[in-house]
Amino acid sequence: MNAVLKDTVHTTAPLAVRGLAHCYEGSSVLAGVDLVLEPGSVLGLIGRNGAGKSTLIRAMLGLLEPLAGEAFVFGEPALKLSDDSKARLAYVPQQPEALAWLTAQQMLDYVGRFYPRWDATFARKTLERWKIAPNKLLAKLSPGERQRVDLIRALASQPELLVLDEPAAALDPVARRELLREVALRAGESGTTVLFSTHIVSDLERVASEIAFLHEGRLLLRCGVDETKERYARLWLPAKMSAAAPDNSLSRRRHEDGSLSLVVERDAYGQWPEAAKLPGARIDALGLEDLFVEIAE
Amino acid sequence: MDASLFTIQPAAPEPIYRQLVEQLRRLIAGGQIAPGELLPSVREMAGFHAVNPMTVSRAYGIAEGEGLLERLRGKGMAVAATQKASHTQHQRLALLEPQLLELARHVRELELPAEPVLRRLTKLLGD
Repeated sequence: MNAVLKDTVHTTAPLAVRGLAHCYEGSSVLAGVDLVLEPGSVLGLIGRNGAGKSTLIRAMLGLLEPLAGEAFVFGEPALKLSDDSKARLAYVPQQPEALAWLTAQQMLDYVGRFYPRWDATFARKTLERWKIAPNKLLAKLSPGERQRVDLIRALASQPELLVLDEPAAALDPVARRELLREVALRAGESGTTVLFSTHIVSDLERVASEIAFLHEGRLLLRCGVDETKERYARLWLPAKMSAAAPDNSLSRRRHEDGSLSLVVERDAYGQWPEAAKLPGARIDALGLEDLFVEIAE
Repeated sequence: MDASLFTIQPAAPEPIYRQLVEQLRRLIAGGQIAPGELLPSVREMAGFHAVNPMTVSRAYGIAEGEGLLERLRGKGMAVAATQKASHTQHQRLALLEPQLLELARHVRELELPAEPVLRRLTKLLGD
């Protein structure tokens, strides 16, 4: 039964990994990550610098062989991906890709031939809007410009699966908003599945349907963006009440005056833990950024 | 009306879909958007604010369920022409008048006294 279930997940999900573990020079980066992306979902991967986001993305796509675990793309083992599946996905790494001896326009014309649904008009117009000289060698562009060219390449191929590693770093606020709009509309209208990592939480709150929070090589939280905001809150208990703190909280911080801050979760009936009703106790709604700071500390 | 009438604060603890429903409620109650007026399409709204179209659909769906909006065939979402909330009890009772007259006629035809009919009706209404 379990095996059948797993097989169906892998054949339908654009991305699926199980038990991914990896380490660099003896120190663990990924410590058993399970993750499945449903078609049409926009998953925002968040975590501190060095949390393992890029490693996870590279392992999910088969660009890195993990120490343990399995990765599937469109149901195929990620390490042996067919050309057909490669044409259905686009990946923009943080570090610019090769082909630096070509100009931006030459590179786009060249790679466009490998994609059956290449949108040359989009590529041309976006180069112009994002102020990239089409005839300048890629090697002569700044790292930010290189990443913008890569984003254009990824979007013009009209992929079914779009994977972006920290795409916001290279973009000014106007271009960033434009990228988010593309991501949001493509997911909503063409059913594009999107995985993007970022440390800019408000970007993720706009377009992501789900979030995954990677912390010290593990996924701490995986749920819908709206649901996360409605389900978690900070409970503050004055010092004399702190003994009544619930045991199951995501984080717990004691202040100098003895009072206690906890990240708590609603139960199955939508109720906060009993301690929230104690005199002096306070429940504060949390934005995602506050929630992550509380958990990651 | 256009999408710029709405403001979205992605970082607020309140989910974006709730922000949209809340603003719709206020804009309609305050008369800034009139009954019958069309709302921006899901695409326009999602594109303008760079938010997930599902978030906008969800907000519109909730507002429709509350009777704030109605779906016009082939045109999209509009502010509901008749809103439940604006009706008094008296007005709503008036809507039932034809059925009540019909019932009274049947009772007389069957020569039933009023009392058992009212008892039965009270029971049907769940007390």
